Amino acid sequence: MESPRRYLGILGAFARNSLMRDMAFRADFLIECASSVSWALMNVGLYAIIFRHTRMIGHDTGWGRDEFFVFMATTWFVHAIVQALFMPNAEEFSELIRTGNLDFALLKPIDTQFLVSFRKVDWSALSNLLSAGLLLAISLRGLARREPNPLTFDPVTLFLYPFYVMCGVAILYSVMIALASTSIWLGRNQTLYDFWFYITNFSRYPMEIYQRGWGRPLGAFFTFIVPVLVVVNVPARLLAQPLVPRASWEWPLAGFTVVATTGSLAASRWVFQRALASYRSASS
Amino acid sequence: MAIIEVNGLSKSYRVYQKPEGLLASFRGLFHRTYRDVRAVREIDLEVRQGEFVAFLGPNGAGKTTTLKLLSGVINPTSGSARVMGHVPWRRENAYRRRFALVMGQKNQLWWDLPAIESFRLHQRIYGVEPAAFHRNCDELTELLDIRPLLHQPVRELSLGERMKMELTAALLHAPDVLFLDEPTIGLDVVAQHQIQTFFRHYQEQRRITILLTSHYMKDVAALCRRVVIIARGRIQYDGSLAGIIDRFSGSKIVTFQFAEGQSAGDLSAYGEIVELREPKARLRIARNEVPRALAKVLASHAVADVSVEDPPLEEVIADLFTQVNGRPAEPDRGDAVGEPMDEVGGVVP
Repeated sequence: MESPRRYLGILGAFARNSLMRDMAFRADFLIECASSVSWALMNVGLYAIIFRHTRMIGHDTGWGRDEFFVFMATTWFVHAIVQALFMPNAEEFSELIRTGNLDFALLKPIDTQFLVSFRKVDWSALSNLLSAGLLLAISLRGLARREPNPLTFDPVTLFLYPFYVMCGVAILYSVMIALASTSIWLGRNQTLYDFWFYITNFSRYPMEIYQRGWGRPLGAFFTFIVPVLVVVNVPARLLAQPLVPRASWEWPLAGFTVVATTGSLAASRWVFQRALASYRSASS
Repeated sequence: MAIIEVNGLSKSYRVYQKPEGLLASFRGLFHRTYRDVRAVREIDLEVRQGEFVAFLGPNGAGKTTTLKLLSGVINPTSGSARVMGHVPWRRENAYRRRFALVMGQKNQLWWDLPAIESFRLHQRIYGVEPAAFHRNCDELTELLDIRPLLHQPVRELSLGERMKMELTAALLHAPDVLFLDEPTIGLDVVAQHQIQTFFRHYQEQRRITILLTSHYMKDVAALCRRVVIIARGRIQYDGSLAGIIDRFSGSKIVTFQFAEGQSAGDLSAYGEIVELREPKARLRIARNEVPRALAKVLASHAVADVSVEDPPLEEVIADLFTQVNGRPAEPDRGDAVGEPMDEVGGVVP
């Protein structure tokens, strides 16, 4: 069994090297940070305008302005982590396969999936964590004054929120690495960004919007087959508590999220290993 | 003791054949034709510890594929191999800590960072103790004369300097087996010589086992006692460098320096005239004809000096590669460049 400490040390070295590389191109780094934060602010502005016209998303869903901003901050947390840790690596993975440079990853005495997944860290994407933290703090302050049912914090929620955020990250990572692995069979895979956009679009709103008409099968598909709807919904719902008393399906859904996370990680591992067995390198 | 044992190792690929033109591209959406490339065919090989073996062959002969199989980068189609007791394609960490593969045309260092940062990352990945890391790093950078460049971004190094950094990175964990795939490709003669000297010194000191592929005969002549020639995926020769000439060259180069005022006359009856600049003539003469031709020329001409030499190694090997590549495909096994196959793998009628 490989020591987790050793892997943490290697992860630290990847992060350190990536930060040094990003800092070497200061202007690019700062522009990327600024554009990420601007995009976040524009989003908040847009939804603030929408909530001037309506008090809630849907009828009796509980997703008012502050609740939705908790949801939005959770989306940013999840996406910022995925984009910082995994997106550059998943994108590069396809290129490594095409050029044959994956050879070097296969030579190293370390788990290849770990190496391929964490090799580079996009530090500028982490700037959205700050925006997310700020938005979360402001919205929670609003929810603490909510009438009726002001939000109260209990230690279980404070533990479960980051846990489910990490579950969401793991689910999105699984989808991403499985998709990137298919490049070994396809030779080239440029659908990664497109797919990412489609998937994150579905996970970006409270799941109540899928409760009518053809939204039902869509919601079921993205909950139980490709479980991206639970990525943000579960942690955001735990924290914002839009419905008091809580809906009967909330805790079973939270339990399902743990199963979905484990299943997604296992499935992506299986796809990765299968793909790697078919790797044929490129001629030099 | 054999440190590398290979038995009947084969590797085949299916390669898509795209016919010319737009219409063919549309057709290719529905039906594709593939070619079966047999890159390595049932090779057997044994390498003992401390040997420095050259792998020679024309482009596409299967040299790099063999190195990739032995380093576990790709899986074989059939056959077996063990390196230091490990099956390479199982990719066990215990094996991956004990060898290194250097590819002259590929770069594994972080492009925008100084090489020392990549070295430290290697230290962590390979779990090299700090004392051993410093000792190895100091020794390698000293031998390769790159210490002043350690803090310069890799992208700002010359090709030769980059290759030296790649070598340092590959050797930091002190591997027992080293696979070198054209490590001096594209380098100028000075850098080539420095790297040859380094390999000779390093191998003598450490007694590690090295397999080298190179198109530069100077690399091979300077470093390797044993040469394996591979062509069309098969081993054609395994022996000493000098033995290549004995086995594959059917001729000698005979140079006559005629006496002052002596005309060379017509020498074509004795062999192929390579060069004629009177009073000097160089002839290529079949080995078994050399004594008879020498006797006749010496009897009929006033000769001031004469020398008999083997043809240059590059020439012998080039001839050998040309012969092998020109040989018709073996019908029972398929050609190295393959037979067309349809999508499900059957031979196209």
